[in-house]
Amino acid sequence: MITAAVEEYLEAIYKLSQDDGPVIAARLAEYMEVSAPTVADMLRRLKDGGLASASRKKGVVLTPEGERIAEKLVRRHRLWERFLTDVLGFDWDQVHEEACKLEHAISDQVEEKLAHMLGDPDTCPHGHPIPGTKGARERMKADRLLSELCVGDEAIIERVVEEEPKLLQYLASLGLLPEAHVSVKEIAPFRGPLLVQVAGAQYALGQEVASKIIVRNN
Amino acid sequence: MPLSCHSAIHEFSESTDFTVALAGNPNVGKSSVFNSLTGMGVDTANYPGKTVEVNMATTTLNGTTIGIIDLPGTYALGAVSEDQWVARQGVLDGNPDVVVMVIDATKLARNLYMVIQFLELGYPMVIALNVYDVVQRQGRHIDIKALSKHLGVPIVPTVANRGEGLDELMEMATAVARERQKPSPQGLVYGKDIELEIAALTNEIASRDLEEPYGLPHRALAMLLLEDDAEFIEITSELPGWQPVLEKAAGLRQIIEMEHGQPCSSRVAAERHALAGMIASEVETIVAAERLSLGERLWHYTTNPVTGIPILLLTLATIFMLLFFVGETLATAMSQFWTTFIEPPISAALFGLFGENAFSLTLLWAAKGVEAALTVGIPYVLVFYLILAVLEDTGYLNSIAFLTDSVMHRFGLHGRAIIPIVAGAGCNVPAIIGTRVLTTQRERLLAGILIVLVPCSARTAVIFGAVAFYAGWQYALLLYGILLVLWVLVGLSLNKIMPGKSTGLVMEMFPFRRPHLKTILRKTWFRFKAFLYLAVPILIVGSVILGALYNTGWLWELTKPMAPIVEGWMGLPAVAGLTLIMGILRKELALQLLVTLAIVEYGSQAQDNLLLLMTKEQLFVFALVTAIYIPCAATIAALGRELGWIRSLSIMTFTIILAVLVGGLVNQLITL
Repeated sequence: MITAAVEEYLEAIYKLSQDDGPVIAARLAEYMEVSAPTVADMLRRLKDGGLASASRKKGVVLTPEGERIAEKLVRRHRLWERFLTDVLGFDWDQVHEEACKLEHAISDQVEEKLAHMLGDPDTCPHGHPIPGTKGARERMKADRLLSELCVGDEAIIERVVEEEPKLLQYLASLGLLPEAHVSVKEIAPFRGPLLVQVAGAQYALGQEVASKIIVRNN
Repeated sequence: MPLSCHSAIHEFSESTDFTVALAGNPNVGKSSVFNSLTGMGVDTANYPGKTVEVNMATTTLNGTTIGIIDLPGTYALGAVSEDQWVARQGVLDGNPDVVVMVIDATKLARNLYMVIQFLELGYPMVIALNVYDVVQRQGRHIDIKALSKHLGVPIVPTVANRGEGLDELMEMATAVARERQKPSPQGLVYGKDIELEIAALTNEIASRDLEEPYGLPHRALAMLLLEDDAEFIEITSELPGWQPVLEKAAGLRQIIEMEHGQPCSSRVAAERHALAGMIASEVETIVAAERLSLGERLWHYTTNPVTGIPILLLTLATIFMLLFFVGETLATAMSQFWTTFIEPPISAALFGLFGENAFSLTLLWAAKGVEAALTVGIPYVLVFYLILAVLEDTGYLNSIAFLTDSVMHRFGLHGRAIIPIVAGAGCNVPAIIGTRVLTTQRERLLAGILIVLVPCSARTAVIFGAVAFYAGWQYALLLYGILLVLWVLVGLSLNKIMPGKSTGLVMEMFPFRRPHLKTILRKTWFRFKAFLYLAVPILIVGSVILGALYNTGWLWELTKPMAPIVEGWMGLPAVAGLTLIMGILRKELALQLLVTLAIVEYGSQAQDNLLLLMTKEQLFVFALVTAIYIPCAATIAALGRELGWIRSLSIMTFTIILAVLVGGLVNQLITL
């Protein structure tokens, strides 16, 4: 039986796997704000249930079934966020927690009607794509981190992870903004910085900065 | 005006006929413009708590005095980084009659971003379209007339490092300043939805009778609030009547954020970039295919890991050799000159006036302070500053930072820290001053500690003079090995222990440029002057104090409480404790004094006299301790100024503990 706790973990793995490299147990523990043994316990349950697998090299990976459930939850979560902001008039920074509770409670039919009533939106109020909508799936699959590109690759900035507003604004003043075209000219050795070209100017971006920039294929 | 708290810049702008603010992105040749326009009389102003400085100088043109405020080079005006904040505050406080914006014609779109910001603030403006020759060489053409019409400001093409176009630029600037001719841009309009929000907020401000901070136009204030500018939100929230405007702005921000799914500040920045890009593409045409210049091709080799790392190692070795050999030669020459020609007449005069007693001997120590400044300052510091200026001016410094970033990261620093650390091997003082290139306090503290642990040329002299000379070069090598291991361990563990994390590297990279002699010499001179002002007084005062302690014999009293540590734990003779105290003034003084004492004690019959005083093992421990413990007086002063006295004091304490610990452990190991 899939409990709300299992669903929360699937959702977390799904989200983490979209931002940043492999999902390791430690990151999952940090994200869920639980201890490492708790995560290990849950991962065993997920594995037994055929929802996820874990390996040293690839980290935690969802099975197709696990991904289907996670995607559905993320979709419901983001639809509820839309509902809370657009219909009930909440601020967009207040809706996450409410949506966390609501997402587990509804059936497929309610989900469908809810999406329909909202006009089948593509993104949540925070700008993240809602899975299952037209184009969103392909777009998310194509998303990569700038730090994962190789020398000679070209891409378009999709978004910048929103945890450091000052960095975001600083990058913005350099023109490192969504929809900007970037090409990687050089990468320094030992996971050093990337030399990227943006609109005629070249910048050296450290790995941790580059890993906060999400790009899609040109 | 109550808001203009920065009196230095404000007063400066009041004292001249016209004030010109010089603005622009980093590396666009702004300093070439500033240097060509002004002489040597440059004042710098600091905002409290900020390290980025504003330079001010005056010049006269056809009988009028023109004050020039040189703002720090930034990519934008804002509150997100220190340089951007200082640049904006400098303009607001200086309230210039005209802003001369230097822009890099080869990167028109990016440079226009800040131009648009200035236009929004409504200052009269003239644009210097710099490095125009390079644009032409690249086979491109910029329609200056069309650009000028778009932006509604006069534009003068310049080649600043050759002085081309600068007279015309200044004439244009004074003409605009005289009229206080406001810009009249055409078609500086953002996307429709954003414009609606801007208009709504502008009207909200206009409909109320409010005090405008710094007399800025309503639209500029509306945009600042929409950009969620922390500074202006705070300023306006303290002014009467602004509360409803701020609430409205918050509401509008939320609407934009909902519609675009990104923070409002990013949205506005994106709009501004789009506008800048549009204007640039409209006025720029490509005439011929672009060719890579020699500078660009060379530059490529320095960033490519395969060729770049050997080049880097070679460069670092060259810097080290230059510092070591050129510095050493100069230092010896200076020292000889001093002891032959300067010191004898001074001591003769002092003894003649006061007789040979503790007082005159103490005063003689003041002369020793000057000697220290001459023999360390001029040779090592001047050579290093010259090298640094060349590296900066050519742009190679950025390539170095790019390649070393990942290594420096393990120490919680980023690529830009490599230069001050290498510089530390010459002299710690300029290296500490050089930590200003680092952005956070954490990075500067980490770099400060690591620099202090790099053996400078004076400590190298002790290691060579005591260990290599008496015990053999293998032991000197072993000593360097110990220092290196210690350095890496301290760096790695401090990064783990110290709260916070390192910031990521974001740095503009640009191809090599031909270094410009005048710029290099000027930069070298300004830095050297700063060093002299800082170090010389400290060296003289420190010398007099130590001289008084020494000549009155009180120094011996001071060594008594240290005896258990020096003799018991580290196994050194008591006199070594005395020389270690003297070494605080200058590290190599510790060894010199030791030799002097040995001569006093055992006569100068043999060159082995130091071995009569101490064993080889003791000399090893002594040199090791000298290399680690408390930095010299001038370094302490530099640390205090750059990092604050509390941090400086903790670094001193840390190094003393480390030195005692390591020195003692090595001694215990030897005696086992």
